[in-house]
Amino acid sequence: MMQKKWKIAAILAVALSLSSTYAMAEEYFWLWVVNPSRQKGVKPVTDKPYQNECGECHFAYQPGLLPAKSWEALLNADALRKHFGANAEVDKDTLRGIHDYAVDNAAEKSFYKRARKIAVATEEGPAPLRITELRYISRKHHDIPEKMIKGNPGVKSLSFCDKCHTQAAQGVYDADTVNIPNYPNWDGWFSK
Amino acid sequence: MKCRVKFRNMAAGISLAALSGMVYADDMAVNLILPTDASFYTHNFQSLKSPSYLLAANEGEAVPDAVKGPASVAPVIPAAEFKPPMFTGRNAHKYLGLGTIVLAGLTAATAPGEACETNCPPPSSQPRQTSGTAHSRLARATAAMAAATVMTGLLYHWDDFHMEDGWTDPDNLHAMLGTAGALLMLYAVDKSAKSTVPTSHAATAELGAVAMVVAIKLTW
Repeated sequence: MMQKKWKIAAILAVALSLSSTYAMAEEYFWLWVVNPSRQKGVKPVTDKPYQNECGECHFAYQPGLLPAKSWEALLNADALRKHFGANAEVDKDTLRGIHDYAVDNAAEKSFYKRARKIAVATEEGPAPLRITELRYISRKHHDIPEKMIKGNPGVKSLSFCDKCHTQAAQGVYDADTVNIPNYPNWDGWFSK
Repeated sequence: MKCRVKFRNMAAGISLAALSGMVYADDMAVNLILPTDASFYTHNFQSLKSPSYLLAANEGEAVPDAVKGPASVAPVIPAAEFKPPMFTGRNAHKYLGLGTIVLAGLTAATAPGEACETNCPPPSSQPRQTSGTAHSRLARATAAMAAATVMTGLLYHWDDFHMEDGWTDPDNLHAMLGTAGALLMLYAVDKSAKSTVPTSHAATAELGAVAMVVAIKLTW
């Protein structure tokens, strides 16, 4: 009886491990397994040059919010000259540093839940260039009235994550930590 | 005696349902504030005219003030320091899930021992049925909590589950494994409760608990 029980448990464990192919590919898989800390959002930015260079003009989006192919397309000298309508050129060494950091910590290389979701959703198809274009992100925000974002002087655009996600800098994007400026009572009951 | 046990189980179930209901009602009560803003329905033409209520309208550049109607501009309210609420439906789901695992562990720890399924001695010489023990009470509580966890998950994370994302999506795996785990636990409790002699149900219940642990880890 005991043997049968353990056989079933072993089969389940093996099946689960094999099914999580995205996780198996990661060299730190077992570290993730035994790590009790919460990894529900995306990994916070830990690289100073990345934080300084990107954060100078906009919220320094965590690399886990896009797959590596997107960072490859965004972080090169040509692309940075026309970075969403602005010239965001940086010197070669700095560019190499922030490029490598972003690619090394891209969605598919992270164990954080939202990064894994983004990795799964962007596995196929062309590299998305805007985080707000991701199916997962757009689905998460689709029921928020326009006046709370574009018509809201405290937000203005969905691109300003940290305007509403009070713990965005820590990589936490839970609905419970959302506080939309000028709509303090909107708790997003059905928001995600 | 049996009646009292049934009554107690029913009361426990109702309490758990009421707990979820209270959390639900609390969130709904807060949300009721939103529709009282009449301008939301009558003056926000951008929202009414097209599916721009959806994300597309929130995309791209911010609308210049000149082209916006006065009602589409949100009133500027001084920002107060924000503290995430302690009691939310999502937190209830989280704590119910963790509680289920703790109770499952306690249930396993209080198990009376291996039961017999094949080549059993006659019922008269088998150990007596163990209903009413700490193990059976904990098992029922575990099953009830597992059911409440699934219910709160469906209520508060219903839109995290999308089959189009495939079954390797962490939230999809979480929902499937969590539900399977709860069902296995309920089956194990039911199997044992319906039998007149002790039956082996540990493997099923343990499998259910393992499935729930994996489900929690996937989205932790």
